[in-house]
Amino acid sequence: MPAPLALRVSGASFAYAQRDALTGIDFDLHAGEAIALIGPNGSGKSTLLKGILGLIHRTEGTVEVLGQPSAPAGSVGYVPQTDELDPEFPVSLEQVVMMGRYRELGWLRLPGKKDRRAVAAALETVGLGRLSKVRFGELSGGQQQRGLLARAVAAGPRLLLLDEPFNGLDQANRDALVGTVERLKADGVAVLVSTHDLELAKAVCERVLLLNGSQVAFGPRESVLTLDNVQRTFHEVGVEMDQHTLVVPGHEGH
Amino acid sequence: MADLLGPLLTAFTLPFMARALVVLLALSLVAGIVGVLVNLRSLEFISDGLTHSVFPGIAIGFVWGGREGLFVGAMIAAVLAAVVLTLITRRAVSGDAAIAIVFTAMFSIGILVVSRQSNYAGQLEQLLFGRLLTVTPAEVTQTLVICAIALLLVALTLRQQVFRAFDRAAFAAAGYRPLLLDLVLNVAIALVVVAASSAVGNLLVLAVLIVPGAVARLITVRLWALFPLAAGFAALCAWVGLTLGFEASVTAGIDLPSGATVVLVLVAGYLFVLLGRLAVDRMRRPARPVTELQPEPRAESVTA
Repeated sequence: MPAPLALRVSGASFAYAQRDALTGIDFDLHAGEAIALIGPNGSGKSTLLKGILGLIHRTEGTVEVLGQPSAPAGSVGYVPQTDELDPEFPVSLEQVVMMGRYRELGWLRLPGKKDRRAVAAALETVGLGRLSKVRFGELSGGQQQRGLLARAVAAGPRLLLLDEPFNGLDQANRDALVGTVERLKADGVAVLVSTHDLELAKAVCERVLLLNGSQVAFGPRESVLTLDNVQRTFHEVGVEMDQHTLVVPGHEGH
Repeated sequence: MADLLGPLLTAFTLPFMARALVVLLALSLVAGIVGVLVNLRSLEFISDGLTHSVFPGIAIGFVWGGREGLFVGAMIAAVLAAVVLTLITRRAVSGDAAIAIVFTAMFSIGILVVSRQSNYAGQLEQLLFGRLLTVTPAEVTQTLVICAIALLLVALTLRQQVFRAFDRAAFAAAGYRPLLLDLVLNVAIALVVVAASSAVGNLLVLAVLIVPGAVARLITVRLWALFPLAAGFAALCAWVGLTLGFEASVTAGIDLPSGATVVLVLVAGYLFVLLGRLAVDRMRRPARPVTELQPEPRAESVTA
């Protein structure tokens, strides 16, 4: 029996201020599966994630999360790019992760033992238990990224959206992040992750969606990541690809 | 010690001084807490817009029902202004221009309304700068009620307000409605403006909203310490400011406008804390990132 459907996007287009930013998106994502969104900067990866969340206007098509036309409250975890956050914000790592529990707590109840345990467990999962009291903005980029992932984990989502989580990470942070994503998948969480790092796509994702303003290709990793498809996706920045390595000249991580 | 504390206490045995103190302390508590959220959300300009847009409500209420009508008109204007403002800022494109246009227009309407009154200048001055020392017992009650409503609005949503301020996208992804929360905060800000209208007036209220939050940010990076610090700082300045005005009047015969005196004490307090912060920063070595360094960005080379 196939795993239940976590997300289905059919014929969807998304627009900023009346201008189409992304068109022709068609894919589905199952529980326990991960899909990599791959494309150059400005190709619409973040737009698609925000469109699924309903933060960006959808001009056509449908988005179904867990079979519902709008995501059931608390079912979706979102890990934004850390450079969208204010590094001066006076909040500790632990407090950021506790935000993942707010939905469960409701408006009035104070965090109890169960919530503190969930926060501690989420921090352990991403390997940041010892830094819980440190101010979020003082953490390195990779640690911040893992902290935001811990916040999503603490909420217990069924669908997880990650926006460029691997940017600028060193090997230790990459390994920790990949390990966490693997564990979530084993627990039945569906993961949609935007990246331009094919190696990491290969490490955690079963299927790949290539994007460049519109959907270029979608399917199993091996059949989608062909030289032709990748060239079509990255045609503006230029691609050199030998048997193992894809080089995108001047395309710096953002 | 008694010499120092004496003037800080004896002045408030006079009923009009006690009323002024009660009004200012209630205002400090609420403005301090709301002000921290204003600071975390960088809503200073929007708060300025709100003070202006509440003004016609205060003016119409005043013309229609005198000092008793003022609060009713101001409350209606406050809620209306908060709703309009929330909707304007939702469409972020050139939001600042829209706010500036709408709210200076509102302010002008208020001035036109007051200008139909006899003793125009005197009335306008009272509405703009307050009349702290002639606050009536009925106005004390009204102020306390409005402060309580504003406090309740932010207290019930405080956690969510912080989450929204830190990370709006993740907040929305968690299934919350940022628009609803923005409306609650904007109404609370507008209510603080209303509550302050008789005490420090429509123009000076901005200082009470913004300075305490900024001071708390200078003192601590601990989230939940910000709120009591801001409220406590505002209350302390209110007390000192009132005493200073009273002493100047009684001992030196200098008549200081009490609202402006309190605001200047707030600003002096801010400068004092700012200098302290700069001195502390200079003595400490610059804080280092916790551990590892980021790899340098470079041309991407990835394995397929």
